[in-house]
Amino acid sequence: MLSRVAESLYWTGRCIERAEDTSRLLHVNFHGLLDAEQADSGRAWRELVLLIGLDDVYREHFDEYTAQTVTEFMLWHPANPDAVTACVARARENARGVREQLSIEMWEHLNRLHLLVSRTRPTAVLASPHEFFVRIREGSHAFQGVMKATLPRGEAYEFLELGTHLERADATARLLAIKVPGLTEAEPTSVTHERLARLLKSCGAFEAFRKQESDELRPAQVVAYLLLERRLPRAVCFSLELALAAIRAISGPALRPEMAIGRVFSELAFTELVTLDASTELLLGRVIRGLGDAADEIAAAYFTTRVIPPGPYAQQMQQQQ
Amino acid sequence: MPTSSNTPVLPLEGHYQPGAFFDEMFEAPGLPRAHYRVLAEQLTALSVDEFEQRRHAVDVSFLNQGIGFTVYGEEEGLERIFPFDLIPRVIPQDEWAHIERGLIQRVGALNMFLEDVYHGQQILRDGRIPAELVFGATHFRREMIGVDPPNGVYAHVAGVDIVRDGRGEYLVLEDNLRSPSGASYMLENRAAMKREFAPLFARYGVLGIDQYPQELLAALRQVAPAAAAVPTVVLLTPGVHNSAYFEHSFLARHMGIELVEGGDLLCHDDVVYMRTTQGLQRVDVIYRRVDDEFLDPLIFRKDSMLGAPGLLNAYRAGNVTLANAPGTGVADDKAVYRYVPDMIRYYLSEEPILGNVPTYLGADEADRRYMLGHLDELVVKTVNGSGGYGMLIGPVSSKSERELFRSQIEAEPREFVAQPTIALSRMPIFLEELRPAHVDLRPFVLSSRITSVVPGGLTRAALREGSLVVNSSQGGGSKDTWVLRS
Repeated sequence: MLSRVAESLYWTGRCIERAEDTSRLLHVNFHGLLDAEQADSGRAWRELVLLIGLDDVYREHFDEYTAQTVTEFMLWHPANPDAVTACVARARENARGVREQLSIEMWEHLNRLHLLVSRTRPTAVLASPHEFFVRIREGSHAFQGVMKATLPRGEAYEFLELGTHLERADATARLLAIKVPGLTEAEPTSVTHERLARLLKSCGAFEAFRKQESDELRPAQVVAYLLLERRLPRAVCFSLELALAAIRAISGPALRPEMAIGRVFSELAFTELVTLDASTELLLGRVIRGLGDAADEIAAAYFTTRVIPPGPYAQQMQQQQ
Repeated sequence: MPTSSNTPVLPLEGHYQPGAFFDEMFEAPGLPRAHYRVLAEQLTALSVDEFEQRRHAVDVSFLNQGIGFTVYGEEEGLERIFPFDLIPRVIPQDEWAHIERGLIQRVGALNMFLEDVYHGQQILRDGRIPAELVFGATHFRREMIGVDPPNGVYAHVAGVDIVRDGRGEYLVLEDNLRSPSGASYMLENRAAMKREFAPLFARYGVLGIDQYPQELLAALRQVAPAAAAVPTVVLLTPGVHNSAYFEHSFLARHMGIELVEGGDLLCHDDVVYMRTTQGLQRVDVIYRRVDDEFLDPLIFRKDSMLGAPGLLNAYRAGNVTLANAPGTGVADDKAVYRYVPDMIRYYLSEEPILGNVPTYLGADEADRRYMLGHLDELVVKTVNGSGGYGMLIGPVSSKSERELFRSQIEAEPREFVAQPTIALSRMPIFLEELRPAHVDLRPFVLSSRITSVVPGGLTRAALREGSLVVNSSQGGGSKDTWVLRS
């Protein structure tokens, strides 16, 4: 497969997943915070901005953290390169450049999602956010489902999978890294309970967790579930296992990407998490850095052809790039 | 008068007036030609409501599939769907057989002309075409002199634009030999019609066109360098922002070949490779949809990032085939066009089966005098223009437009040709009601060891009322084209 094509597929997978993750967080905040206290609400909205590491950019445009301002920033604000509309547009732009690699059904779903986010007016979204978020999530699920149902298994499929699962692992890990410090403070049980419920819902895992643990929600258990569970689709460890399977199907002679993902996966697969303390935050830091390393190794191994034979044309090619 | 919803698309009495032009569908008001009768019955049985529903279904499916093109000059990167009219153009077998013979003859002669021009130049020595016209053509490539493309084929894919005059005679308006677009729309139009009008296909014996990508791939494989046992064929696109990108992607997908951009290619020791996740892979045939000027920055435009440095040397070394070959543009030059019938007589000793539209050359003094004296009657085109940009349509032009062209023609006569305004044939389109629109036809001619034509083509219709310009970039739409089995 062409290196450029592989890179576009990988980013198509990542961007769609990122759009879904962001709209899921917004959705949960919108609904979970309707009955929350003012202070807790502001804090939860601010966390979303911190999550994508763009607080500085946000502050250039807004003074406070409200449902409306954060939603505007996260959905379509031009200063936010990771806004949902930007992610969907980028996913489509990447896919458009490699359309021949996708099934027709995949392209149609992506195109529909793009039309949805690019044609919906901000005021309409703020008036009924629920429907909009649900449709984005459905669009992403439809794309991923149709991909599984229609795309032949091969390099194209695996690069899409790789991007999707690395992004998902990264999103959940970052969410946990933001939330864990707040969960160790001594807060009244009801507040902690609210936060844990929102955290689970942000990962679509509330009911799944409830089925497994019917006791009251305890922070360490919830974090362990979202980080280490190998059967939950949005858990970090689960996503890493799928990313590892994808990279193994691709790898060929390049071993470093597989090693990078494998290192993070192994640590999580053999970790036990009983209480939340400073070591949990260190662990999450290692996971996030490890995922960054894996992304760098993937780019180096597959997206840039380093084996260039010497010669005048090749040198000119290199200078151009 | 806007029609109400329950009225038939084609009322038995009334609205549609074929007018003074040759009408593809009607011999006389209310009297469809034999091969359109079944279609006319169908349109009489169909209400406007039902028709609009089907049209909407097609529009939605085109939109969801992102079938469209980019319009230059308006907003940057504006994507539009290609307007599609649901009333097919029907061509009976005997008319098609005539067109097909004519196209094979014509493209055969054009390929012989290209081989001649880039080798012995016998036709120029014999004075059948003015040499300065050929050497002065923008798309003449001296780098191609002495190069031998496999099988002597230069124009592997030709999209020849055919029109019908007031008497219904088929004439060639333009030979597009560089990288003609439209095959994907031809195929998508057919797919849409099959979805919406399946029963009509059963009643008409319509020849299939779905084999086009496969035939194209076979043709490309046949012209691979001899050394390649199992040739790797790729399609080279300028990229996602090109107006025809949809088509590039469509064809690559349907041929099952890689769609590459210039940056994906690398030339080393006169061999072309593509960069893949598993290392470099050799490329044997490049179906390139990048213009000559951008193919190779070492030879042509230095600032081009769309091609690959070293590509032309690899081609001249015979290690890779470019389709179409560089330099084919000299044969579809609008001034050289006038001499195509002479080429047919010269190379094949045959009379042309398909005629030309009479053409006056700015470069010729007598022609130029006639041109300047009759600007209000003629269609004036720039020799290198395409896509309907930069044309003067005399009968509908203003005085100031004509004066602008007059001064331009006087300044650079070689750049202009003129043709009488052809009373292009018309046929019904549906825009609120059935109304006539001018149409042309672009069939696609494939040349490798043999020359063949897929039965059909892209029928383009000028959707703006009275407009003679059918180009998609100028508000043109398209129709499915049905060639009948018998």
